[in-house]
Amino acid sequence: MVGIGLTGTILAVYVKESNKEMAVFISLATGLILFIFALSKMGTVLEVMNELAARAQINMFYLTTVLKIMGIAYIAEFGAQVCKDAGEGSIATKIELAAKILVLALALPIITAILESILRLIPS
Amino acid sequence: MNIELIFQIAGIGILTAIFHTILKQAEKEEYAFIATLAGVSIALLMVVQLLAELLETVKGVFFL
Repeated sequence: MVGIGLTGTILAVYVKESNKEMAVFISLATGLILFIFALSKMGTVLEVMNELAARAQINMFYLTTVLKIMGIAYIAEFGAQVCKDAGEGSIATKIELAAKILVLALALPIITAILESILRLIPS
Repeated sequence: MNIELIFQIAGIGILTAIFHTILKQAEKEEYAFIATLAGVSIALLMVVQLLAELLETVKGVFFL
């Protein structure tokens, strides 16, 4: 994996002086390949986590919500980094903002559940 | 691992840079521009396919 990253970096630097767009594409392709590789390993970890959650009888809704948030964070981070590499810092900031709002929307049901249980604890 | 893709894109980049220089020397500015555009489009197609693969993988792994 380090070799792939280094190869991509060297090629990107080499091409950058003659052709700037291609350098962006090279860094993008390198990042994508590394990401796909890491995710294929991540899949096995998540399978084990699912099995453990099922054995501990945790509500699957919470686990899938957490996993969705993780996925959104991964994708948004990747996109923002690519934008930043291409010199578009403002678009990267907007991607991160949108990802935060999406994560908040996903976490909202859990927050309301916590608030409701707190309200139930308070004797009225 | 398809590391060949990185080399392919780098090769396309070098080739288009050479085409651009040659066509500019021959005072064919429009053709130089079109050659660069074609190279960028080809690389974009490759990268977009890879991106689609990544998004499919993420969808599968995180139950999105």
